[in-house]
Amino acid sequence: MMEYEIPLLFIAPVVCSLPIAFAWVHSPGTKWAEKLAYLSVFGLFISLVIALHVLFTYPEQHYTIQWLPEYNINFVFIFDYLSKYMGALTGIIAFLIGVYGLEYMKGDYRLGWYWFFFNMFTASMLLVVYSDNLLMLLIGWEGLGLASWGLIGHWFRDDDEVSYVGIVGRKVGPLNMYWPPSMGGWRAISTIRAGDMPMFFAVAAIYALTGTLNISQIQWGGLFHMIGYGGTVLLCVLFLMGPFTKSAQLPFSEWLMTAMTGPTTVSALLHSATMVAAGTYVFMRVSWYIQPWTMHHVPGVEVVYLFVLFVGLISALYGASVATGCRERKVLLAASTMSSLGLMFGCAAASYWFGKFAILVAFWYLITHAFAKATLFLVAGHLIHATHDRFSHGDLALAKKMKIAFAATIFGTISLVGIPPFTAYWVKSGMDEVIHHIAHEVGMVPLTLLVLTSLLYSAALAKFLSQNFIKGGSDYHLHLHGEKLMPLAYATMVSMLAVLLYQILTATEHVAGHFVEMGYISSSFMVGLGVTATYLIALYKPSIPSLSKLGTFLSDRMEMPFLNDYIVPGVGWIIAWLVGLGNSAIDWFCHRGIPSAFNSFSRSIRSIQIGYLRVYVKIVLGFVMLVIVVSAMGWW
Amino acid sequence: MEAVVASILLLTVGAAVSLKSERGAIWLCVAALALLLVVPRIELLIYSMLIVAIALINTASLTVKRNQISGVDYSLVALIAVATIYIAYTDNLAFILAAFVLASVPTYALVMVGDKANVNVAIKYITFMVLATVLFLIGSFLLFYTKYYTSELLYTLGFVMLILGLGMEVGCAPMHEWVPDVFTAADPLPVSVIASITKIVPFVAAYKILILTSNSLTAHLTLFVAFIAVVSMFTGNIGALTARETSRILAYSTVANMGYVMTTLVVLSSQNYLYLAFAGALLQLIVNAVGKASLFTSIKVDGTSTPLMYLIAMSFIGLPPFMGFYSKLFILMSLVGTGFVWLAFLLIINSAISIPYYVRIARSLARPTIPGRATTIAFVASVIMLITVVPPNWFVDVATSLIGGV
Repeated sequence: MMEYEIPLLFIAPVVCSLPIAFAWVHSPGTKWAEKLAYLSVFGLFISLVIALHVLFTYPEQHYTIQWLPEYNINFVFIFDYLSKYMGALTGIIAFLIGVYGLEYMKGDYRLGWYWFFFNMFTASMLLVVYSDNLLMLLIGWEGLGLASWGLIGHWFRDDDEVSYVGIVGRKVGPLNMYWPPSMGGWRAISTIRAGDMPMFFAVAAIYALTGTLNISQIQWGGLFHMIGYGGTVLLCVLFLMGPFTKSAQLPFSEWLMTAMTGPTTVSALLHSATMVAAGTYVFMRVSWYIQPWTMHHVPGVEVVYLFVLFVGLISALYGASVATGCRERKVLLAASTMSSLGLMFGCAAASYWFGKFAILVAFWYLITHAFAKATLFLVAGHLIHATHDRFSHGDLALAKKMKIAFAATIFGTISLVGIPPFTAYWVKSGMDEVIHHIAHEVGMVPLTLLVLTSLLYSAALAKFLSQNFIKGGSDYHLHLHGEKLMPLAYATMVSMLAVLLYQILTATEHVAGHFVEMGYISSSFMVGLGVTATYLIALYKPSIPSLSKLGTFLSDRMEMPFLNDYIVPGVGWIIAWLVGLGNSAIDWFCHRGIPSAFNSFSRSIRSIQIGYLRVYVKIVLGFVMLVIVVSAMGWW
Repeated sequence: MEAVVASILLLTVGAAVSLKSERGAIWLCVAALALLLVVPRIELLIYSMLIVAIALINTASLTVKRNQISGVDYSLVALIAVATIYIAYTDNLAFILAAFVLASVPTYALVMVGDKANVNVAIKYITFMVLATVLFLIGSFLLFYTKYYTSELLYTLGFVMLILGLGMEVGCAPMHEWVPDVFTAADPLPVSVIASITKIVPFVAAYKILILTSNSLTAHLTLFVAFIAVVSMFTGNIGALTARETSRILAYSTVANMGYVMTTLVVLSSQNYLYLAFAGALLQLIVNAVGKASLFTSIKVDGTSTPLMYLIAMSFIGLPPFMGFYSKLFILMSLVGTGFVWLAFLLIINSAISIPYYVRIARSLARPTIPGRATTIAFVASVIMLITVVPPNWFVDVATSLIGGV
């Protein structure tokens, strides 16, 4: 059974998307070709069924398909706590978004492209999730990068302003503060590549030093001892460049914001269970087997985890702050996603001091966040679809017409921000407890960052709810087309949060049960109250006109686009200029220098031919005399 | 030996007959040349045949257009051929020097003739030739003198003077000043003789004299030869590179070619590679003689058949399977074998530099194929360039037989 199931898990989505991909090349836009999208979603369904089968029936184990056994490089699949849940999560979310996409993408101009990359995206993520071998993981990792480029830039014609990010025509200094889809795709792939390359080197180094690439088999302690303090820090930071860029941690956050140029289904998938989650997931998976809590005597490990802790928490605060200033539906959600990813990194990094439980907390937060954020994105997509406006506008009249969306948003936001007693409250309590507990070792700064992030995060999502359904004004044109699949998809999605809540409160899942204890701790409850308060305030007052300058600064993402679009390209142009200079020097040397040197040599050789015999005789006799005299002097 | 004397007699008669009948003079010349094919040793036959072929080409060139001494000029060419073949027979200094002078003096008269007598050019040419001959003769005498009275100083002076005389005679830089002037100002037809067959005797003479007198000092003095060779190669090739006039390009090409041949003299001290070096030198001289004769004739008639011009140019460049490739190959092999890798390297660079101007020459002389004397000459030249389609290992034996007895 297993030998059929496992390959099918990855192959089924891709194979099922091929018919529509080829059909679209042959006859784009025809009805029968559009119908093939159902087959594509069926492929996602196969993956979902297998992932659920894996979750419920497989024992913890490895499964190996031989590839290059002589080099100890094989397809090694691992089924442990992390991968089983993560795989099921990916399967569910991808399938639900696929169903949603059937309706959302109807009438698009290149569905073949869309479904092929969408399914490949899912398959790649599943490969990342289940792989124990780093090389195999990299294959999935690269598949994610390629598919994200294809999907973010899906509307490559840049012909619809609804797919842009930023206010079209707005300039700050030399920069255009708006990005079309083609630019969004380019920004994504270029940022990710910049992080992937160091990661490749790190993986290659790990293989060279240990002779194996199986995460669960590498002797991490021995490896770190062998390469010492500097080597460990270098290796880990190089490796983490991959997860950091994929998960859009500072300073690589810009691509995530402009990834909103893709279709909303892509944003939803990208921000919940795939791509950005892959970065944090890989960090958790590797930490799970490094077991940093056992490595307090190993040089360099503490520095690395401290680094990740602060990168994560600072990115989290940055993302939450930016989210509070955003007025675009999807960009607000994107910024809050970045914040959540930062929290995951920070919490998982705390495992060095706190132990394995910190990783479990981060992982559970990943799951909760995935369902909630996918819901919110799907709602945002429905809103954009119905109003053809990507800015947050809407009032209760709209809410009445889109009741399911309204209800899903309410439940999704309160479940995600950490209002007691909803789902994320319990998980966030665990996180508070973890960071609070390590205050002895790392001081109070991380805890402060965490609490501030929680408050701002809550405000940002409340603002999303308020501006889209309650207090966003009536400046919208609603065109509902009787969508059925879209509400069904996000309603199902948001109900998953209730399932999680049930598991936590009834302690049917052995890890989830611990969260309840932590939710009863008074400090956690205080944070919960604070979160509730900011949520209500923001709900009541989603925008503060007197702070509009601050809001613009935040919605300009604290001028981070300058780093991405101005400084880095500037450095690139300087390098290109220098290379060009070298090129033209070579060109000059070959096309001008050598020929003109030969030309003038040639001329000067012929210049002695002035036609006078006396001159010639002088030259020749002078030479003859010189030679004879020199030889007579015994020059030999 | 008797045949040589007979052919000289025939030529004398021919020159006299020419006053009455030009055609008779030509036939007598051909008969004299045919007599030269009567050789005492069979190995010399190939050499004699090649020289006779070159002499016939040169004679044919002179018949393209009448000049002031038509009739006598054929005898002069044949006389040079007699000297060129006779020098192969002899190891006697007196005969070697006689051949040297005999090959040189007829050109004094030839250089003047043409559409209009050009005394100005003749004065330049004769001045240089006299200087060269004097230096060569004195050098030879000094070298032979040291065989009986050992003196390092005298040997050095003799060696240096011989090389200077040789260089001046054939046109090696920096004694090449006469070459561009004479080749461009004189009539192309006599120049096709001067640039061609006359270059062979001085080198053969120098080889024979240097081998006869060589001693332990020779190896030290080869650096001077290498210097002259390198200067000559670079001066010739770079000078030709941007020259406009075809005859001027050919003049500098001659300087370069004489540089190539001069390099082989550095191998003198090595017994192992001497014959290979001499084979390369002789082959290069034949390439130069055949090619220059044909090209100068083409200049006179304003171009000949396109494929033949390109074929000759490619042979000069040194592409296989033409004779120009094997001559350079032999030279390079002997240089590398003797340890003069740097000299070989410079020679290769110079070959590369020469490519553009040879192609330019071919292009500027390329015309549609019209049957005629110049075309026939170019055709014969091309056939000679192509005899090395059979890799000329046999030519090393020919070269050995020429200087082996020394």
